[in-house]
Amino acid sequence: MSYFAGIDIGSTAIKAAVVDEDGKLVGTRIAPTGSSFHKNAMETFEALLAQHGIVREAVKFITATGYGRKLFKEADDSISEITANAIGACEAGRAFGGVRTIINIGGQDSKAIQIDANGNVSNFAMNDKCAAGTGRFLDVAARNLEIDLEQLGDYHFGGSGAPLTINSTCAVFAESEIIGLLAKGHGKEEIVAGIHYSIARRTVRLAKRVGIEDRVYFDGGPALNKGLVAALQDELGRELVIPEQPQTTTAYGAAVLARSQYLDE
Amino acid sequence: MNSTPTDAAAPAYNRSRQAREAETLLDRIEDDFPDNPQAMRYFYDLFRNVYCHGEPVRHQGTLVGTTCIHAPEELIYAFGATPVRLCNGSYHYDQIGADFMPAKSCPLVKATLGSLHAKAAVPNTQSLELIVNPTTCDQKTKASAMMEAMGYKVHDLELPPAKESEEARLYWQRSVRSFALRLRELTGRKLTRNNLKAAMARTARAQAAFRTLHQLRKSAPALFLGKDAFLVTNAYFFDDIDRWTEAVEQLNAELRSRQTEGFQAAQKRAPRILFTGSPPIFPNLKLPLLIEEAGGVVVADETCSANRMLYDMTAVDEWLLNDMVDGLADRYLKPCTCPIFTRNDDRQRRLLQLAADFNVDGVVYQAFAGCQVYEMEYRSIADVLAAQGIPMLYVETDYSPDDMGQLSTRIEAFLESLKTRKRNKQ
Repeated sequence: MSYFAGIDIGSTAIKAAVVDEDGKLVGTRIAPTGSSFHKNAMETFEALLAQHGIVREAVKFITATGYGRKLFKEADDSISEITANAIGACEAGRAFGGVRTIINIGGQDSKAIQIDANGNVSNFAMNDKCAAGTGRFLDVAARNLEIDLEQLGDYHFGGSGAPLTINSTCAVFAESEIIGLLAKGHGKEEIVAGIHYSIARRTVRLAKRVGIEDRVYFDGGPALNKGLVAALQDELGRELVIPEQPQTTTAYGAAVLARSQYLDE
Repeated sequence: MNSTPTDAAAPAYNRSRQAREAETLLDRIEDDFPDNPQAMRYFYDLFRNVYCHGEPVRHQGTLVGTTCIHAPEELIYAFGATPVRLCNGSYHYDQIGADFMPAKSCPLVKATLGSLHAKAAVPNTQSLELIVNPTTCDQKTKASAMMEAMGYKVHDLELPPAKESEEARLYWQRSVRSFALRLRELTGRKLTRNNLKAAMARTARAQAAFRTLHQLRKSAPALFLGKDAFLVTNAYFFDDIDRWTEAVEQLNAELRSRQTEGFQAAQKRAPRILFTGSPPIFPNLKLPLLIEEAGGVVVADETCSANRMLYDMTAVDEWLLNDMVDGLADRYLKPCTCPIFTRNDDRQRRLLQLAADFNVDGVVYQAFAGCQVYEMEYRSIADVLAAQGIPMLYVETDYSPDDMGQLSTRIEAFLESLKTRKRNKQ
């Protein structure tokens, strides 16, 4: 049996995915990027293979993606995370009846991608060069509120009043705004909901730039946050399609591409 | 303007910072690409000498600085003076110039002011006897007084905000005539029919060389890369015009022989890009380089540091000097596709024409953050191109290098989508 791998080296996490000869997903693995991402990427990849009893030689083609794609020399080829994300979402989206818009929120960026009827990228937009409205923003907020990142979703639904308005989407300025709100005696629940709505509004503006069409697929680590999902659906006025493992869509897309690149050659 | 950044304006510091920026870029341009044309050696050396080693800019007679392509250079040459274009592309001077302008303003204007403020700026123009500043966008217009406060003599060349009406045309013709008077005062010379005719012939030869180069880029697969084309046109800013023309003619000859040999400077399926928007000015060739490092090839442009500056020519078919000056003025107004004009449908038409003539796969639109006119025209250009099914990538950026990673991802994704489109078409 031959296998094909995709490795997505992001700013926060490394994601690896392996597909088999038929393009079926064998498994995925996630690890923090850390400071020595090359070593961590290799370890994640090898651990994934070991987990599924695959020998290194059976992996015929590796495609790297994400910010570290150019520096991962073990890969046979590299592809931008926008294209990889689109391929992964289209494949994974079949189960939901096909997708035309992708919203991705990563550790340091957010993207909106428009897919044409043939499954190709027809337009995309990315946030500007700051971390506003990205996963990092949630990180900072959770730290200020002294709660775990995973708890944000529960807090979102725990409040009794309306979500507060968080004006600042800048991760640095939001910090002082959150501290100010806490000092005024606002509950963490209202603040968390406010943060989610603030990110959601920013994300919808980005998505509107490329055009929104059903179905809308939402992935990236923050898609695990139920509160953010609710806020985003509310702002969009549409249902979102969320995969089981929203963090690994892009790695999966790279693996799917690795397979077709190998078979084309 | 009481506080002067004395440290930042120190000569040795400027030279070293600027030289490092220029050197890094030239190394990338030369070393990261195989198959650079041999005739490009002249331009690589020219930039190294002028930007890295501080070699003074060559000129004859009075040196007149220009801040825009709207300054009629034939007039300057006709008075025995030499024009040098001061528009600056350096991040170092952009930071110095930030002291003079509001936070969200155009890096080009900031860098130009910064280099004028800095002592021993590069390129080393020695003494500028006059700066001619066409009143184009608000930021350039307001820069006049700031340049004067730095001790420069500045001539405001008043440009109308529209170009189609007869009023605008007459206004501009008068404006160009008063510029001629200012040059007469400055040089103590008289404008004659013969002088102007000779000056027009000189720029015409340069422009003819440029046009040949431009046409050679229609070749598919590409004969040479856009990063070199931008370097060539950027050299026109400050190089001796006759030397420049000869160097371009040599490059053209080499490209012609490449054509007969069937040489390819880029892969057969490399997406062909038309570049438009805010001008790439050395050493800020960030975006064209990222496109070509990612496997695309810039085959044509619609910018004021290349095509818009050199494509449209003047011809001498008037018998009287006054009519010649008016004719010259028309050439600087009518064909210009700068977004400062109230109505600018010409830019849309020109882009569509270039896209068709150069067999373009996609357009990259650069808007400098703070360059409002380009930011404002984004929507209309996007609509026109979309209606013709031409994909466009809009990039808002500035001179700082910190968005390179993010930009390269966006550019690669754009090129990947163009390749897929191309495959599907076949």
